[in-house]
Amino acid sequence: MNKTGLWQRLRSPSSSWSLLTLLMVGVAVGIVFWGGFNTAVEATNTEAFCTSCHEMRDNVYKEYSENTIHYTNRTGVRATCPDCHVPKEWIPKMLRKIQATRELYGKAVGSIDTREKFEAKRLHLAEREWARMKANDSLECRNCHTLKSMDVEKQKPRAKKSHELAVKNNETCIDCHKGIAHHKPKGMKEEE
Amino acid sequence: MTTLFFKPIALLVAGLAVSSAQAAAPDWGKVPGKTITVFYPGASPIEWIMKGTEHGGARALRKGETCASCHNDEAADMGKKMASGQKLEPNPIKGKAGSIPVNVQAANDGTNLYLRFAWKQPAGGAEKMDKDNPVKLAFMLEDNKIAGANLSGCWETCHVDARTMPEVKDDKKTKYVKDGSLAGGKYYDLMQWTSKGAKFDGYVADKRVMEGGKGLVEAKGEKKGDEWVVVFTRKLAGGGDGDIAMASGKSYNFGFAIHDDHAAGRFHHVSLGYTLGIDAKADISAAKQ
Repeated sequence: MNKTGLWQRLRSPSSSWSLLTLLMVGVAVGIVFWGGFNTAVEATNTEAFCTSCHEMRDNVYKEYSENTIHYTNRTGVRATCPDCHVPKEWIPKMLRKIQATRELYGKAVGSIDTREKFEAKRLHLAEREWARMKANDSLECRNCHTLKSMDVEKQKPRAKKSHELAVKNNETCIDCHKGIAHHKPKGMKEEE
Repeated sequence: MTTLFFKPIALLVAGLAVSSAQAAAPDWGKVPGKTITVFYPGASPIEWIMKGTEHGGARALRKGETCASCHNDEAADMGKKMASGQKLEPNPIKGKAGSIPVNVQAANDGTNLYLRFAWKQPAGGAEKMDKDNPVKLAFMLEDNKIAGANLSGCWETCHVDARTMPEVKDDKKTKYVKDGSLAGGKYYDLMQWTSKGAKFDGYVADKRVMEGGKGLVEAKGEKKGDEWVVVFTRKLAGGGDGDIAMASGKSYNFGFAIHDDHAAGRFHHVSLGYTLGIDAKADISAAKQ
């Protein structure tokens, strides 16, 4: 009865609050909720959050921070975990976040909680990530790099040739740039 | 009487032969040179080259790009990485030069091909693998019959199971071409000069053979100061086992290697694959003098 009463009250026009007041309160509450949600999402989108789990800190982060171009470089620009692994656009980002909730289950059951377990799964995990990046046309890479904006004349001949071939063959970044931030897994399959 | 009659003729013929050979030797001062950097390749057999998960260039090679199109300008850097053991060399040799820039000149006189290589002796001091020869220089030619030879040069003969490769126990197995066949024309013509004074004219087919060729007329080298100069004279027509018959207007796949500092086996400095043209446009053109 109470429930029905509450539902009816929610559906009935207000007799004591003006429409403007209701709108203003609604907007204020909306801002608070939206801001809170966004802040929470962004809090999970940081290197500190990712490395708060030892699975990430001791394995992939350790390799990335050894001496990779995305960790330390001439210009001092760093690409952190989410820069490469989480899309920047809102909808793809939310989809990725929902997808990543599976990792909470993995964490709970300890699927890669030792180095040995991680190594045993490394190829599978890497292949899944490469497939994701291939499917989205290396979206995260393209947040910073695009073939169109490259001045290949300023690149080394090896890079120039490879990028020209990539344009010609409609290839995407991850087709070639595997293992640039983490060690390559053993047993990688050769392309046909 | 007969002897007296024929002797002057014989002398005349011999004299003409000598003078024509001398006249044919090119004036190297007038022949344009090309600097090719030979570099220390470490253990990078063709099996590694074509493994895309290890060597990103495998993708480009499969699309028909040459090794030189990507690596020509960075040969010295690559050599440095491998000689130091940073990459592809499990047993780096102390003091090994990463690379050697070589001035290569080529010419022909309608009968012979002349090839001249000149380079400055780099520092060394490693353990002597070949005690007899401080230096050896070899070059190979291929007549566009072996798949990939036009892209990767000599690498088609460099295999993971050859002697001196890491973990290879067989000390007899040398270079070979996969599906190589002397009878089928699938071979590299191989010529070598050694600083001890020997010359070899052989080939690489299903195995390496250091004899059988009849094309190599002369291979001479000397060291002046700190510079080595080696000159080969080879009959264009060839004529022996494993000899490529070269003709004006055509170009051939070409690569060369220097065994520096008493090196042997894979511990040499190698060139990428280039083309050698006889009166034809190529990476190195042997124009008629």
